Amino acid sequence: MTEQEIIDRTNKVFEESFEIEPERLVPEAHIFADLGLDSLDIVDLIVALQTSFGVKIRTDEKVREIRTLGDVYRFISAIKNGGQE
Amino acid sequence: MFCCNIFRRYMKRYDNIVVGSGISGLTMTLLLAMNGRRVLLLEKGTHIGGSLCRFRKGQLSFDTGFHFTGGLNDGGILADILGLLGLRDMIEPLFIEDSSENRFIFESTGRSFEHPVGFANVKARFREYFPSESTAIDAYFDAVQSVCSRTPSLNIHDNLIAPPNLEEDYISLDAVLKEMTPDPLLRGLLSGYAMCYGVRPDEVSFANHCRMVQNFYESIAFVRDGGDGFIHAFKEKFKGYEVDIRCSTTIAELAEVSDSRVHRFVLSTGEEVSADSCVFTIHPSQVLSLLPEKQYSRAFASRVNGFEPSAGFFSLFARLKPGAASRTKSSIVSLFPDPDVNNLLDPEWGGTPALVIITSPDAPDPDGGKGICILEPSFPRHVAQWSDSRLGSRPEGYREYKERRVSAIREHLCSVFPHYLEGLEILDAGSMLTYKDYLNSPDGSAYGVKQKMRQFNMIGRLPLHNLYAAGQSALLPGVIGAMMSSLIVGRSVLGKDEYGRFLGRAA
Ligand SMILES: Cc1cc2nc3c(=O)[nH]c(=O)nc-3n(C[C@H](O)[C@H](O)[C@H](O)COP(=O)(O)OP(=O)(O)OC[C@H]3O[C@@H](n4cnc5c(N)ncnc54)[C@H](O)[C@@H]3O)c2cc1C
Repeated sequence: MTEQEIIDRTNKVFEESFEIEPERLVPEAHIFADLGLDSLDIVDLIVALQTSFGVKIRTDEKVREIRTLGDVYRFISAIKNGGQE
Repeated sequence: MFCCNIFRRYMKRYDNIVVGSGISGLTMTLLLAMNGRRVLLLEKGTHIGGSLCRFRKGQLSFDTGFHFTGGLNDGGILADILGLLGLRDMIEPLFIEDSSENRFIFESTGRSFEHPVGFANVKARFREYFPSESTAIDAYFDAVQSVCSRTPSLNIHDNLIAPPNLEEDYISLDAVLKEMTPDPLLRGLLSGYAMCYGVRPDEVSFANHCRMVQNFYESIAFVRDGGDGFIHAFKEKFKGYEVDIRCSTTIAELAEVSDSRVHRFVLSTGEEVSADSCVFTIHPSQVLSLLPEKQYSRAFASRVNGFEPSAGFFSLFARLKPGAASRTKSSIVSLFPDPDVNNLLDPEWGGTPALVIITSPDAPDPDGGKGICILEPSFPRHVAQWSDSRLGSRPEGYREYKERRVSAIREHLCSVFPHYLEGLEILDAGSMLTYKDYLNSPDGSAYGVKQKMRQFNMIGRLPLHNLYAAGQSALLPGVIGAMMSSLIVGRSVLGKDEYGRFLGRAA
């Protein structure tokens, strides 16, 4: 999967599942401070990303390190293209 | 604003509201009340207890959704939880003491496997049953113990933390067993207790299987007066605290929402109350339907709507006539026509279903008859075509379905125990729709939401931050899982420090 495809599909999850306007979806956007998610939304974000990308995500430390939308792209890319779970 | 303030003066104030009065709601209510909270307990049904309630047929009492449990032995988790709540002396366990009283019969091979009492004894007995599989059996029981010892919330004396993610949370029971042994019969035996949580071995995580079955290997007990014994104990205990109970009452509306908090709770009676927080112990889909739509993301809704139901049961409630009764001890007998539990818990399975036959330890009726309950796994699709009908006005097709199931179960039972042919008097039968109506649940499943591997349950704080979810679907099912969910979520409601002080006082 190309980086651009990952970015597009991740943004779509934020638009469709959390109703966030596309213009706010920039890599440096902080998912809590800028995009308005709250810590409870993380579980729903994971489930939505799992469905959208057909991947399996664990709620381990790597998830807890996510801060920005760019972190989400990198996180997905590592799973999708790095062969790890 | 002015009008709101006036209103508020007349509004009754509670510290906490608890919705649903099954074992989860009762536990939550008592925990909060023991910590000085003023609690309002709401129950949709006409009386409290939910699945714990017994009902009478003729001179006999029958259980709705609580037959037996593990964990009541000294040091067992249920004994500990009851101790924490000051209920231990009020609930009398009736332990199964003889291994013949708890057995699995695999009909395709004719072999019967008894479960003795105590983890080490079960393991030793299984090694006798499968002498060439002793390595696999040791590995299995070691793994069960290992998972439980690495799950801190199973030690309720610790200030609980949420269940961790272990490697074993990401691998299915089925996969682990297939790795351990090529023997399908042994795999069937080791996954047999899946009937007690209603999830196929290839769908449940090995970790959750371990957390649920460890207690059964240690001890199995009925309880004096069944679930009513629990209800009675809670009612007595509530007397010492500020607990208001309202039956036939639910929350109609979560009103006045600001800062992601609900400030006013409108009850189905029209009354309005205020409370710091509200804990739901009802089915997640029913919680979702109460939340104002603007207050949660689509992602949250689709996660909750994606939950599947666990298995349920078609149940026969019968009387063993005096002759047969005198030959039958209180016991749990599981009949497995197929050794693969994946099949037995598969809604699509077309073969003969399993049966769990429970003869209660209650005193016989005046004529010497005994109550016996026979459970056959069932799934929403079996009753889907009548799911809109209500108790008392079911269509003819549904009645025919019930009759078909009753005679099939009877035939199945008598093929293994011929003396039941004469000795069994069927008093009543219930389908998943019966459970659905009696328990006010969306689907009549026995264990709420199916606990699938990698699933994120609805537990703890909800998108509105003074609302919480607990209950059998939140953590693990059964009376133990339901009570544990209330301790874990209750700890969030009270705060870690206050909960810690409570544990200190109780110790
Ligand atoms: C046939 C059967 C056999 C079982 N056998 C066993 C067993 O032997 N051992 C065991 O440990 N477990 C057993 N279980 C499972 C066990 O009963 C449950 O896991 C447990 O009792 C669930 O408790 P709960 O409080 O979470 O839910 P429930 O007992 O379902 O309680 C929920 C309560 O909420 C009420 N309610 C629903 N909607 C609303 C609303 N909107 N407002 C207010 N109130 C509402 C309901 O009326 C009900 O009283 C069995 C279940 C079944 C069905």
